Amino acid sequence: MSELVADRISVAFAGLKALSEVDLKVASGQIVGLMGPNGAGKTTLVNVLTGFQPPTAGAVLLDGAPLSGPKPHLLRRRGIARTFQGGRLFRDLLVIDNLEVTGIGLGQSRSAAIAEARAMLDWVGIAHLANRIAGTLPYTDERRVAIGRALMGRPAFILLDEPAAGMSGQEAADLSALIRRIAREMGCGVLLIEHNVGLVLDLCDHIVVLDSGAVIETGDPAFIRASEKVRHAYMGTAADTHMPVLEVGQ
Amino acid sequence: MRQSPALRSLSTPILLSLLLVCFALAAVFAGSRPFNQTIIDIFLQVIFVVGLYTFVGNSGVISFGHIAFACLGGYVAAWTTIKPMLKGGAMPGLPDWLMQTEIPYWASALVAALWAALWAGIFGSVLMRLSGIAASIATFAMLAMVNSIYSNWESVTSATSSVVGIPIVRVIWPYLIAAIIAVFVAWAYSISRHGLALRAARDEPTAAAASGIDIPRARLIAFVLSGGIMGAGGALYAHSIGIVTPDTFYLGLTFTTLSMLVVGGMSTLSGAVLGVLILSTLIQVLRWLEAGVQIGTSTFALPGGVQEIALGAVMIVILMFRPTGIMGNKELNLPMAGSEKAGRQGPEPQTTNKE
Repeated sequence: MSELVADRISVAFAGLKALSEVDLKVASGQIVGLMGPNGAGKTTLVNVLTGFQPPTAGAVLLDGAPLSGPKPHLLRRRGIARTFQGGRLFRDLLVIDNLEVTGIGLGQSRSAAIAEARAMLDWVGIAHLANRIAGTLPYTDERRVAIGRALMGRPAFILLDEPAAGMSGQEAADLSALIRRIAREMGCGVLLIEHNVGLVLDLCDHIVVLDSGAVIETGDPAFIRASEKVRHAYMGTAADTHMPVLEVGQ
Repeated sequence: MRQSPALRSLSTPILLSLLLVCFALAAVFAGSRPFNQTIIDIFLQVIFVVGLYTFVGNSGVISFGHIAFACLGGYVAAWTTIKPMLKGGAMPGLPDWLMQTEIPYWASALVAALWAALWAGIFGSVLMRLSGIAASIATFAMLAMVNSIYSNWESVTSATSSVVGIPIVRVIWPYLIAAIIAVFVAWAYSISRHGLALRAARDEPTAAAASGIDIPRARLIAFVLSGGIMGAGGALYAHSIGIVTPDTFYLGLTFTTLSMLVVGGMSTLSGAVLGVLILSTLIQVLRWLEAGVQIGTSTFALPGGVQEIALGAVMIVILMFRPTGIMGNKELNLPMAGSEKAGRQGPEPQTTNKE
């Protein structure tokens, strides 16, 4: 059982606080949701957890040990994978090469990387896209490739940064099923950053809500659903407004 | 039937090598010594530009400093092939064992490659941590540093004086073979795991780091390899003219090689080679026109200096219409190998069907 912990993480840019003493914990096989309005600091937290942004204060702990001054590629090799808003695929490479590159980055031999890439595309359900140029894929497929790429080497944790952005209801439902499989079948700890509140409430075991860089609420989906603070953060107004919930399939 | 990546992309270096062979045969059949020297110069440029491509094309980092490695190589040729008696007069500060060393030109090219690669490793371990314009300027600083050292370390480099007595090799074949080897080395690197990782890092550095790729290390491997190619090219350059000075390997050669790479298309090996062949041919034609062409009883000649102006104009026009260079992102290859991969950067193999 592995555990990734953000321990009182603060980040300031030129005196402006982007994150303020944020605590968060993801364990193997668990799906944790990270919600919050635009500018709440969600991506900054993911950047801290994956080594792209050093925290101003606080620490990231992997299995209880702090990661001091880590580099992104080293954290990836230690099993902390991520996706990006907008995919960030290697657009001129084939889909299978996108995954193969990650295998190479993880120190696999070329043949092992290609074999795992092929198996992973199959597992994610996009084996038919293997030989497409990544830059020519529709948005939804791009997201799936990005997830497949992040799953290379079977990481202990995967941090998904708005994977459902721009997806239709059915596409989001398919994605939801995939994320559930990542946690249940691979035993991977998932941190899901998502604006699709319905998807987060439906999928996550635990949810952390950020607003203006601070945790305003944390708890299980039922608790978050009922929270006035969360409702207010999202809608910014009265309690009689409804949270934007998108129905997704189970 | 499944083909290996190497086999699928092999047509690119083969076709490029055949082109070089055609140039060599043209020189042999022409039988003119100046023309022979021109073709040798072209082959040397091919080595330099392919060396430059190995780093710049795969990493996306523009280097203004690679000619420094040619300089290192050129002086290795001087140190290891000039007769000991001559060396004693021009470079008295050389250690005894080096003073007594006299090896064949091809061995000096190999030693030059290793020497330049060693220094590329030393410089690169610092420079490869930089990105973008900072990295480019730092490579230029490296060039200036090497030039300054070689221009002032009189007892070892003869400072700014010409070092003469380097055995001249006038036969075209060694240069052809070296250019072909450079093409194959660059191709082999491009299709290797390191080449693939570096091109991914070139296109999406953030995602590459998140994929476990150590970008400075990936760049360093390309830098060392390209430094080695440049070093061998520098040694052969010295053997082609029999003389070296630090300024032989400075700004002029830096900008010529970079221009050829940019005009040819810096993200492909074919662009590197064709950039040299096309621009060199153009320069040669303009030189002939400047010298004067006999038409009937009158001689037609372009005014002196038109060569540089015309060359600049042609480069501007090429880059206006093809900003990514003549080859763009495409490699030269046989039609059967290429259709699926059109538009893809870098060498062929990763663009093909892996089933």
